[in-house]
Amino acid sequence: MFNYTKVKLEKSMVDKIKRYAEIAGYSSPEEFITHALEKELAHLEDADSEEEIKKRLQGLGYMS
Amino acid sequence: MARQSATTKMARMRRMVLMAAVAGVVLASPRVADAYIGPGAGFAVLGSFAVLFVTMLVAGVSILAWPFRMLWRMVRRRTKSKPLVKRLIVVGFDGQEPRITERMMAEGRLPNFSKLAEQGCYSKLQSTFPSITPVAWSSFTTGANPGKHNIFDFLDRDPRTYLPRLSSTEIGSVDKVLKLGKLRIPLAKPTIRLLRKSKPFWTILGENNIWSTIIRVPITFPPDKFYGAQLGAMCIPDLLGTQGTFLLFTTRSSAERFQEGGLRFKLSANGSKDTFDGMIQGPENTFFEGNPPMELPLRIELDRPGRRALVAVNGEEVELLQGELSGWVKLSFKAIAGMKVTGICRMMIIEMDEEVSLYISPINIEPEKPVMPISHPSYYCSYLEKKLGPYATLGLAEDTWALNEKVIDDHTFMTQTRDIEDERESMLFAALDRLSKGVLVTVFDATDRVNHMFWRYTEDGHPAAEGIDDPEYANAIEEQYQRNDEVVGKVMARLGENDVLWVLSDHGCTSFRRGVNLNAWLLENGYLTLKEEADGSEEWLQSVDWSRTKAYVVGLVGIFLNIKGREVHGIVQPGEEAEALKAELKARLDGLVDAAKSEVAVNEIFDTDTLYRGPYKGNAPDLLVGYNHGYRISWDCAGGVVAGPVFEDNTKAWSGDHIVDPRLVPGIFLANHAINDDDPAIIDLAPTALTLFGIRPAAHMEGKPLVDGARFIRQNRSS
Repeated sequence: MFNYTKVKLEKSMVDKIKRYAEIAGYSSPEEFITHALEKELAHLEDADSEEEIKKRLQGLGYMS
Repeated sequence: MARQSATTKMARMRRMVLMAAVAGVVLASPRVADAYIGPGAGFAVLGSFAVLFVTMLVAGVSILAWPFRMLWRMVRRRTKSKPLVKRLIVVGFDGQEPRITERMMAEGRLPNFSKLAEQGCYSKLQSTFPSITPVAWSSFTTGANPGKHNIFDFLDRDPRTYLPRLSSTEIGSVDKVLKLGKLRIPLAKPTIRLLRKSKPFWTILGENNIWSTIIRVPITFPPDKFYGAQLGAMCIPDLLGTQGTFLLFTTRSSAERFQEGGLRFKLSANGSKDTFDGMIQGPENTFFEGNPPMELPLRIELDRPGRRALVAVNGEEVELLQGELSGWVKLSFKAIAGMKVTGICRMMIIEMDEEVSLYISPINIEPEKPVMPISHPSYYCSYLEKKLGPYATLGLAEDTWALNEKVIDDHTFMTQTRDIEDERESMLFAALDRLSKGVLVTVFDATDRVNHMFWRYTEDGHPAAEGIDDPEYANAIEEQYQRNDEVVGKVMARLGENDVLWVLSDHGCTSFRRGVNLNAWLLENGYLTLKEEADGSEEWLQSVDWSRTKAYVVGLVGIFLNIKGREVHGIVQPGEEAEALKAELKARLDGLVDAAKSEVAVNEIFDTDTLYRGPYKGNAPDLLVGYNHGYRISWDCAGGVVAGPVFEDNTKAWSGDHIVDPRLVPGIFLANHAINDDDPAIIDLAPTALTLFGIRPAAHMEGKPLVDGARFIRQNRSS
């Protein structure tokens, strides 16, 4: 409940998103919007450090 | 019926009282706040008073609003779905192999499986491409192919760095930090996001006022939010933020007896030949500059004649018998004054003669007051702990790594695995006895782990069984399947009228005798190039010259092309050049032969562009590798080492696997009702569940319901 916030979008845009979300295979318009934003953010965000990545995967049975 | 209804109401009343009591105890008890951690991301002050206050407020409002919510649900239910069944009980045995199941059923050794098959159906169950746990269970959950749920492997690769990362969970760091000298006070919680997309069928059931209890279904960390309860599973980390790192305290030097692996700590004699001291290094303390590990001193006092030891930690003493695992032991690490981080572990004295060694299992997040979100609602894990006692919370909880490294033996591993299975069974029956209507899904992991670790004893000449004569656990896999049969029998005995039971596995298992290093093959064949003077022995593809590399392997299941504009140093043009390269690799790798054994190692290479549909298919490897029986990605290749032979023997205890051509390792499906398809797939189960509750399958679901609603009612009325 506290992990979500509202963003205002033009109604015509939302209508279009609703129409295409299902065609594209999303389970909801929210998922469509989130994915679009995630793709854009991925270009801007920094990658995790090698050390941090190694640590998180440590102990995964399929690799060690 | 009236009596049963009264009993159910009483049970629900008792459940509510117990849950309210647990919520009260959990909220009211901590004198010292339990910090909220994210691996490598640190702690947040929100773990203390602010969270406590807000949680109590929410709990209070929730209790006051409960009668109105119930009334609203009753009103809405009249306009919502018309369920065909009362309860749907799903029991998952991860990795149960149909060839073994069918043979044992034919031999009469799985009587409850056979009885269930006679009542309804038995079939192989098509897995996903690839046939691995996170992918297959995500398709079970969503009814969609990986192109729609975004889980293609255990690992994803970061195209900015070519490094692997967990595919299912993203854990962010805390950017807002207040610096006070050496002290660092985080001003926000680290974000933890589930990367599995689409919508679980239990969320849709909840939208139609149908309750679900979901216990340990893989890829539920952090847990889903829906009308129901959920205990998370894969890939919940341990307290160190890893996927399960054991600790070894030993007086031995590192070159002796034990191979490398886990975390090794020095045990030092403390002025006596019977007393030894060590220091447990726990999670990083991000309250301090440089993130030093939190430490906890440990003392071992030996009683050599009695083959016993007393381990003193946290001001408590744990008595250990040599070679026997302790129960769960609580470890509380102090972060700063008034804040601690608590986990649970199991201990075992391995040796206590000239040399002394103590094994400590991966430190699981404590379920009573978890430092990360492992259940929904957040207090569900505490409720289970209060009701059933402490239990394993780690995603892959069985310590396969320690057995691979020969730090623990077969017996210890089996003890640990069976204890975890017993914990899970208690959860299943506690939830089943409480559930009056709705869905209960419980997944047991033991079958998969036992398949992985004991396959070596099921066939002659397995390289991992060399030199082991007459092993104690030669029949471990069959014994595990018989244990599963007993669980099924107990569930069947508790079924009522209009209850449906499904028993399934997400994939099967086969032999893993030889590892294939496809990065080494790509190097040999000119698709991958090393940096000048590099020999390829570095991990994580650090030796690779990306400006001269066309294809590479990261993760466990496929091959990526080094695509220009997608990978940071990509050189392959998308479109025609990429398509031609895929076709060329497929042509050369289809039917790849392991010359030393004269066996086909790779059955077929699959182009994921044609395999998947949906908005996330661009995140998949470009090619999926369908290994033959006996073959899998090698350990070196999985770790990003390019050097060495393409083919090598697998000598680790991890000797069975299912990272092969998915057509070779289907799962199983049994139900107490007939189905309308003789070749069902795991992707069909979510839409079938919705159909059983009178709900039309969602548009994003691609599986086909295995029952026809109208016919299902007629069949059940006539039987």
